[in-house]
Amino acid sequence: MVRFIAARVGSAIPTLLIVAVAVFVLIRLIPGDPAVLMLGDLADPASLADLRARLGLDQTFATQFIIWFANVMTGDFGRSIASDQPVLPLIVDRFWVSARIVLAAVTLASVVAVPAGMIAAWRQNSRLDLAAVTLSTLLLSIPTFWLGLLLLLLFGLKLGWLPVVGYVSFTDDPRRAFLYLLMPVATLFLHEIGVIMRMARASTLDVLRLDYITHARAKGLSEATVLWRHAFKNAFGPTWTLIGLVLGNLLGGIAVVETVFTIPGLGRLLVDSIFARDYPVIQGCLLFVAFSYVIVNLVVDLLYPVFDPRVMAE
Amino acid sequence: MRATVLGLAVVTAGLLSISNIAASSATLRVRLNADIRSVNPGVNRNDATDGVVLHVVEGLVGYSENGTVEPLLAERVVVSDDGLTYTFHLRKGVTFHDGLELTSADVVWNWKRYLDPRTGWLCAAEYNGLNGIKVEDVTIGDRYTVSYRLDRPSSTFLAGIARNQCGQTAIIARSSVTADGVFKTPIGTGPFRFAEWKRGEFVRLTRFDGYKSRAGRPDGYVGSKRPLVDEVRYLVIPDNATAKAALVRGDIDILPNLAYSDVHELRQNPRLAVTTSPTMMLNTILLQTRDRLLANVRLRHAFAAAFDTTRLVAAVTEGLGERNNSVVPTRSAYYSAVQARGNTYNPDRARQLLKEAGYARQPITITANKNERETYDTAVIAQAMLQAVGINARLEVIEWVTQLDRYNKGRYQVMSFSYSARYDPALAYSSVIGSKDHLPNRIWDDATAQGLLNRILIVPGGPQRQGLFDDLHRLFLEQVPLIMLYNGVEAAAVRNRVKGYAASVMSKPRLWEVSVAN
Repeated sequence: MVRFIAARVGSAIPTLLIVAVAVFVLIRLIPGDPAVLMLGDLADPASLADLRARLGLDQTFATQFIIWFANVMTGDFGRSIASDQPVLPLIVDRFWVSARIVLAAVTLASVVAVPAGMIAAWRQNSRLDLAAVTLSTLLLSIPTFWLGLLLLLLFGLKLGWLPVVGYVSFTDDPRRAFLYLLMPVATLFLHEIGVIMRMARASTLDVLRLDYITHARAKGLSEATVLWRHAFKNAFGPTWTLIGLVLGNLLGGIAVVETVFTIPGLGRLLVDSIFARDYPVIQGCLLFVAFSYVIVNLVVDLLYPVFDPRVMAE
Repeated sequence: MRATVLGLAVVTAGLLSISNIAASSATLRVRLNADIRSVNPGVNRNDATDGVVLHVVEGLVGYSENGTVEPLLAERVVVSDDGLTYTFHLRKGVTFHDGLELTSADVVWNWKRYLDPRTGWLCAAEYNGLNGIKVEDVTIGDRYTVSYRLDRPSSTFLAGIARNQCGQTAIIARSSVTADGVFKTPIGTGPFRFAEWKRGEFVRLTRFDGYKSRAGRPDGYVGSKRPLVDEVRYLVIPDNATAKAALVRGDIDILPNLAYSDVHELRQNPRLAVTTSPTMMLNTILLQTRDRLLANVRLRHAFAAAFDTTRLVAAVTEGLGERNNSVVPTRSAYYSAVQARGNTYNPDRARQLLKEAGYARQPITITANKNERETYDTAVIAQAMLQAVGINARLEVIEWVTQLDRYNKGRYQVMSFSYSARYDPALAYSSVIGSKDHLPNRIWDDATAQGLLNRILIVPGGPQRQGLFDDLHRLFLEQVPLIMLYNGVEAAAVRNRVKGYAASVMSKPRLWEVSVAN
């Protein structure tokens, strides 16, 4: 197991290196200069040269990269050009805000969508199946910003049950924090239900067609036993992988949901930084996102044998 | 006797002012469409930053609503006959938020701090001789008098230091920085104290009970500036639809920078009041005079004749804006009858000019962005109007920062572009006129125009300066280096419980003299 983890972590290092180089180069290929943005109307050549020197932007790409990369290796992601804050604490703070929403939404969506998808497969072509497929397709098709706005208008404006704007941390006031996070979590939850339910249904359908299921039924086992004891473990594997991918994707930023619900999360930080050409924050965010993606998928792989012991045997 | 009566009046007004301040207690919640960058005046800023910080700090002078510079922390300003020495007589009894009284020594300390390269003041190059005038010396006359000596006369010295971009060259308390000179927090003299900033969420200001307001009505950044609420809370709400929902529900009290398309809808809501005001922003169509085609002045005149500016402005601003073909804003003290002269819409003349210019339907690209909705809408309508007279106009939509980069490098043919407000038109012309060899983002590279501007930059306010602005405008219409369309429009919606707030020419929310009914 230790060798497996070491191998997986080791295989992530080249990925992170490529991400670091690609992010550094690509963001600088986009036109725009943070010094110009900061100076605005006052951007004359002398002031620009002075500010660029202060920000270290007057050095060559290679020098900038070497300095940045050497610092990253020591855990120093630099300081934000826009806010002059250390980048890593800034990212970590914002990451936890997003992570709470994402983890809650994906967990709830999995709890609801996996059984629903399996039941739909078990009752394939019934009205129940049709309803599940229709609902999942509908939820999958609605853009999150629109779904978010609909919830906001209904529960915030029309019914007045939930606050429309603002964010309260759980450490400050758990009850209010819960109220503020309900709608963003619900938006992601509804969207991800569609994604996960379709996968759970499809993989269950595949498993239910296998010979060992026919054999189990021939033994006279109840349908519930066949479905949950025999079909579930095999059918859940692909869905579990998908949940890992969904989690990795969403942890990388839910900028749209964060913008609609004014959540100060990682996605908004990244988008704001791109518009401000805040290079250190963009680089830090993307490297952090890539790292979290690797970690999430590592955890998914490590837990896979729980559902499918053949993986460990291999 | 007269002095005694005046003294009593001042004391009474002061007591009245204090009693008014004490009478109201509430929190005012205001939308910020983007987070601020810092609370360090004039150092790390954007528009949102200036709007917040200028409630906490104040400069010696500030802008009034018609763009003239008036005393703020100064009681009066005396300019020497040679135009080289500016003597500021400070208002007595003004205190910083830390309780210390403002004196001339604080002004000198601040100026030295601003010009210290370690401070990173964005306007330093404008006053250290690197990019304009040089302030050679700042000396203390007495406890309340300080003099600035310039290396040459400048009509824009006061206008320059009053700029928002320079943080109004605010005078902050020495306790704002650490012993090493590192900025900690803004301790100013403004009507509100800085209390808290939760990045990405909100900025909180609290009332400064010791604020010494000027007399008179609120007037831009000068005049009466009493804080009438206990607390101001700026909430960062990036999305327009969310901000609108928050206002309607009552989660915020003031929604500034309201989209024009929302004005009509929110006016129907009985719980809200919607106000609009022209601003001093310049919304323009830039023409690259170094472009092979647009170097021809006849072609540029054809552009001017092709635009039905009145209809274009009405469409873009939903009927809220008014046309203005002058770089001098309509609300400026320098907006004269001459400035009101503009381009005439005449499609037949446009076609004739195209023929005379030898234009053979070569493609001409209009660059715009969608981040600034009005800029994009302007470009779309301009394209249609140009096509209507036979110009093969194409639209290129790019991201705003990319567009700014192209603007700065002069890499465009035609660009729909907005300049932020410049309250002194000399500063607006300074952004437009100049050598493209030296500054590629200049639009009007002409020796006569530069000569007129140079004189404006020296001549103090009055009829002579007005005459120079008028001459410049005549030349501007003659050469058409760009087409001015309209000044911006600020629209704001507020809950009915808010009293004293209206959209203003300053465009940013101004929260002094604003109260909340309980």
